Amino acid sequence: MVNTLAPETTRRAPHSRRAAVGAVDGRGRARRRQTVVAYLFLAPALLFFAVFLILPLGFALLLSLSRWTGFDLGDIDPVGLDNFTGLLADGSTFLTPVLTNTLLFALGTVALALAGSVLVATCIDKLRFQGLWRTLYFLPIVTTVVAVGNVWKYMYEPGGLVNGVLNALGLGSVAFLQDPDTALPAVVVVQAWASVGSAILVLTAGLKSIPGSYYEAAALDGAGPGTVFRRITLPLLRPSLLFVCVTQFLTGLQSFALIIVMTKGGPGDATNVAALEMYRQAFSHGDWGTASAAAFVLFAVVLAVTLAQLWFFRRTGEDA
Amino acid sequence: MTPVRRTGGPRPATRPPGLSRRHFALALPSALLASGCAAPHQGTGRPGDPIVLTLLSHYASGELKAALQGPVDEWNATHDRVKVRTTAVEFTDLLTTFMVRQAAGQGADILHPYCLWNGQLVRAGVLRPAPAEHAEEIRRGYREAAVGAASVGGRVYGYPTEVQTYALYYNKRLLREAGADGPPGTWRELEETAHRTARRDRYGNTLVQGLGLSTYDDSTTVGQTLALLNAAGGRFVSADGRTTAVDSAAGRAVFDLEHRLVTEGASTPGVNVYQAFPSGQVAMVVSAGWWTGSLKSLMGAGYRDVGVAPVPVRKAGDRHATLCTGFMLGVNTASRFPREAWEFLRWLNTGKAGVKGAARGATATRMSALQVSVGSLTGRADDMRALLGTGGDPNQRPFLDALAYAVPEPNVPGAQQAKSLLRKNIEALWTGQQSVDETLRTTRRQVDQEMARSW
Repeated sequence: MVNTLAPETTRRAPHSRRAAVGAVDGRGRARRRQTVVAYLFLAPALLFFAVFLILPLGFALLLSLSRWTGFDLGDIDPVGLDNFTGLLADGSTFLTPVLTNTLLFALGTVALALAGSVLVATCIDKLRFQGLWRTLYFLPIVTTVVAVGNVWKYMYEPGGLVNGVLNALGLGSVAFLQDPDTALPAVVVVQAWASVGSAILVLTAGLKSIPGSYYEAAALDGAGPGTVFRRITLPLLRPSLLFVCVTQFLTGLQSFALIIVMTKGGPGDATNVAALEMYRQAFSHGDWGTASAAAFVLFAVVLAVTLAQLWFFRRTGEDA
Repeated sequence: MTPVRRTGGPRPATRPPGLSRRHFALALPSALLASGCAAPHQGTGRPGDPIVLTLLSHYASGELKAALQGPVDEWNATHDRVKVRTTAVEFTDLLTTFMVRQAAGQGADILHPYCLWNGQLVRAGVLRPAPAEHAEEIRRGYREAAVGAASVGGRVYGYPTEVQTYALYYNKRLLREAGADGPPGTWRELEETAHRTARRDRYGNTLVQGLGLSTYDDSTTVGQTLALLNAAGGRFVSADGRTTAVDSAAGRAVFDLEHRLVTEGASTPGVNVYQAFPSGQVAMVVSAGWWTGSLKSLMGAGYRDVGVAPVPVRKAGDRHATLCTGFMLGVNTASRFPREAWEFLRWLNTGKAGVKGAARGATATRMSALQVSVGSLTGRADDMRALLGTGGDPNQRPFLDALAYAVPEPNVPGAQQAKSLLRKNIEALWTGQQSVDETLRTTRRQVDQEMARSW
């Protein structure tokens, strides 16, 4: 049987091998075709990233190592690390006060916005018509920065609303935006006010996700509101707090629109921040090399700060 | 069996030579890129069709745009071979637009830059020097300050258009109420008048500022200080344009004066003088001539209280001097039709026409008529006399007279950066962050460092 079958098997073997090879080839072709189709579907997104992310990033890197006045692409003159050493050199205003202001601005904004939004979100969580309150607090987000900046600028001016209140209380006027000691804190307050709406949205969603049974158990144990907030609400709100903290800090480090409207970086360099300085170096002074180098320094700072925040929250038991 | 093709008719069995799929893949993006970076529209390119020159300016608003369009339409109606098309952006976007369009190969044939940028534009190879005959015409027809503003390193790069000189605006009513007979002529009188007119309420809010010090932007903050510096015989930049000359006796005197005015309460830099002066809250301001037009429309009948006098000199008997800034029309090095562009500029800036309402035979260039129609001046004194003699605003006279002694704003490479650095230091002085000595020292160090980089 075996012998009789053996020749048949032997005869069939080359055919089935061919068939197997053919099947493998077919599958390979199909897989290749699928890969091509997949890449074709991905192509628009890849092209988008290449044109709007990779190319500008590469160009910025090239410029940060060159001198370029912005007019003729043929005039890009390589200078090595000169732009970076110039920025970080002794006597340069980039580290102090520009970068210091940037960090203070971001830190102040995050601290104020976080404190304010936690407070407001907790209050809203206990009120009726929560949607209405959330909408009201969200309004500054949908208002243009130019309008927000100008309105606050008038409110801060001597004779403005804020000074009017101070005068009514018998206090002297304060030149909020003209005094280098008060200009940066004054702008920080406005930035925090303008960004508190989005933080409230995230935090109210976070508050909703805390199971009510914890609060019931706490009430049965006789815990007061302060203890409940400190021991239950805040720890369980940590994922939302991490998100708000990281995003607000990133926004704060990169923002300059409000500053350009309210103070133009002045008086002197009192409110000058890195993004504003980059904009001026590139578009006003035609020094694209310095502007690009400053952008990479700011990128390094943003990365370091974000990693530090993630590390801190992970260490305290929260994963991003 | 011949495969059935879904579309198209018969195809050749072999690919056409020289256009493989790979070539096509390379050629398509290259062609798109080339078409994107091509020179601006300059006519159809067909023989016999007119050349179209593009002119990029900051005359974007209704009044300015219409004022420039008038002569351009006149040119287009009377010239068949060369046509001009204007494009305009807001002044704040002008330099950026020059950069972006130039880098993309889309630079306009004719540019209308602020003269402060000339050094930067020349260094970047954007501006073409004026041909000898045009340069000669410009030197002959315009005041020295206007020619200086349109030149870099002694070489003329364009026809000066609007020219702004600085003078002292004062509120006649406020000065009269404070017992001042007329505008101050010296710094001592200026200081006295500023103190006499300044008033505050019990909370320290400024009711009236004696001398308004603007912190509005680089131009206004630096302009008023440089006008006073020039009036004291000082200069911001050395003659060779490579270092700053602000750390001098004149520089110290200006910073001392401004510091005293601020610390003693006669000036409040935080107040926006461009809003406060028309409201009668500022007695005096050093500013440029363009402001007369704005004040007239803002103040209405109240404009009769506004007077203009030369910038006070340091001591009685000193020679007058002030700052002069301006714009010019120049030709792009990338223009394919420079000769035609210069011809158009000559026609616009030197071709004279009769002045409506003026004395018989009085003529002025199209550009001068255009500028006066929008409340500005040009550097052509003869034109200005003819045009202002036809019932113009007497407050413009001091600005016109100042053309004879004004000092052009430095326009060396890095001038914009130097100006920003000076503004920051002036503000640091006014707000007490720096003493006069520190301000002089820091300005010199920062500006010298920047200028050394720019050359």
